[in-house]
Amino acid sequence: MEKTDYLIIGNSAAGINAAEAIREQDGRGKVIILTEESYLNYSKPLITYYLAGKIPIEQTGWQQGDFYSRLDIDIRLNTKIVHLDVEQKKAISASGDKFGFQKALIATGGSPIIPAIEVDGGKKLDKKLINRAENIFTLTTLEDARKLKAYIEKNGVEKATILGGGLIGLKAAEAFLELGLRIELIELSDRILSATFDKQASSIVEERIRDLNSNIFTQNTIEKIYMEGNRITKAQLTDGSNIDCQVLVVAVGVAPEVPFVDSGALDTDRGIKVNQFMETSAPEIFAAGDVVQARDILAGEDRNIAIWPLAVMQGKTAGLNMAGSHYAYGGGFFMNSVEILGVSSISMGLTSLEPDDSRKVEVLSQFKPESNYYKKIIIRENKVVGAILVGAIERAGIYAGLIKNGIDVSNIRDNIISENFGLIQLPADYQKHLVVGEGIEV
Amino acid sequence: MKKIYIQEEYCIGCRLCEIYCQVKHSKSKKIIKAFKSEQGQLMPRVLVEEIGHNSFAIQCRHCVDAPCVDACISGAMKKNISTGVVTCDQDKCVGCWSCIMVCPYGAISKDPGERKIASKCDLCEDEEIPVCVSNCPNEALKFMDMEDK
Repeated sequence: MEKTDYLIIGNSAAGINAAEAIREQDGRGKVIILTEESYLNYSKPLITYYLAGKIPIEQTGWQQGDFYSRLDIDIRLNTKIVHLDVEQKKAISASGDKFGFQKALIATGGSPIIPAIEVDGGKKLDKKLINRAENIFTLTTLEDARKLKAYIEKNGVEKATILGGGLIGLKAAEAFLELGLRIELIELSDRILSATFDKQASSIVEERIRDLNSNIFTQNTIEKIYMEGNRITKAQLTDGSNIDCQVLVVAVGVAPEVPFVDSGALDTDRGIKVNQFMETSAPEIFAAGDVVQARDILAGEDRNIAIWPLAVMQGKTAGLNMAGSHYAYGGGFFMNSVEILGVSSISMGLTSLEPDDSRKVEVLSQFKPESNYYKKIIIRENKVVGAILVGAIERAGIYAGLIKNGIDVSNIRDNIISENFGLIQLPADYQKHLVVGEGIEV
Repeated sequence: MKKIYIQEEYCIGCRLCEIYCQVKHSKSKKIIKAFKSEQGQLMPRVLVEEIGHNSFAIQCRHCVDAPCVDACISGAMKKNISTGVVTCDQDKCVGCWSCIMVCPYGAISKDPGERKIASKCDLCEDEEIPVCVSNCPNEALKFMDMEDK
């Protein structure tokens, strides 16, 4: 059995940032990163940019090629861990390799959820069937994107069907539309991006998509699919309509990919539970990124928020603590940036709160249909807790700062929604902190 | 590291910092060309905010723990470990606007040029003193190490 000081399972945002943080603290300890994938490293959010043809496949790697050698990190590709023994502190791969460790980080991310849609002939849709099918795809790895892109190019696909109007579904839509394909988007709720958009924001983006000779079916899902050999040909929706499918992308969501452990060995809920140092319930086992349930500063409880910036911060936090520092994760909140052919949007925090006097929720908004401009700020107990910006996203981060720092905005309430809102309108103390203070402690 | 410090009590909102920044980051480096023929392709990377007599010029703070670097999905936004300067590699940037989403200063913009990339202060790395500082008539911007303040 191979032995290492630090074993990192997962080679994306959390894993790589953890490795880097470990090296900052400990220049000598042995670090092994394991990944089940066959690529050295790539940025998951970039796969749809590659799909859209905006960047070549080489540019999806976000760390330079010498990252591993420069930091003296041992990287093992094509190594999937099938059993993590947290008591004996060893991990076993699918091919039987054993890794003993002092400390381990679980940074395995998430895997796509596959709804058990009926397949004509009596089967149900599952991972195996998707792998076998020529034109049904999930879209969470570079390999997914590579296969999908190759299929589209080889078969002259003109229309793509997307199941799911969430983050991945919309990123896929963005890419397909850039490629000049028509899309058909099927979403269970009453609007796209329902987790972060309100009806108004969604309708701006939905209209933009419909303008492009494409279609959106809300409050709908796929009931049944029809195959010819290994190809999907048709999908039947809940409302009874049938649509022809040239390709189908299944993008209904992602679930934490918790590695196999003995029952009760790790506390999990919607993801692996961690404390503020990213420690799991098992000693010397840490977890970070899309696989965890960590502090959400707005919800007042721990939640699984699978977004890149938080995976980076959690990875760094885990790495520092694994190497003996005592560094707490400050928590985060959901945020998202998406652009559909020229209409950019950023949403963050609790965007679906309704005005409510008893809970002291105020909602301020401004909509200019002629320019696709929409801004909405949600305030709870005099603090900003959510923001949606569509059409003009400049300076969106100022709102993120207000949310993160819990700034009382009661005195600037009238300005906060204005189009040219900037630092100069901020409450005096906070403004002074930003403008005169050194660097950032926020 | 040396950073730009804002002394808002001396700022009169003359916007010379914006003008010199725009010229510095133009192709021609000539003021007339930068504001005429390159118009629409350029914008300053420093922003003067002003209400009444209050004004200040804000540009990237080159944060110690820069949220834009953490949020960057392409590896374009990097902090130089030896100089502390945060810069956006234009070849790598894909224009996802994650940096705009997280910068609490609102100091990153969409580049107005043809490519979808982020635009921000680079501290005029090839100059001894950033042009916004050296051309401020009032020392409302100062370039120094905090220890020397």
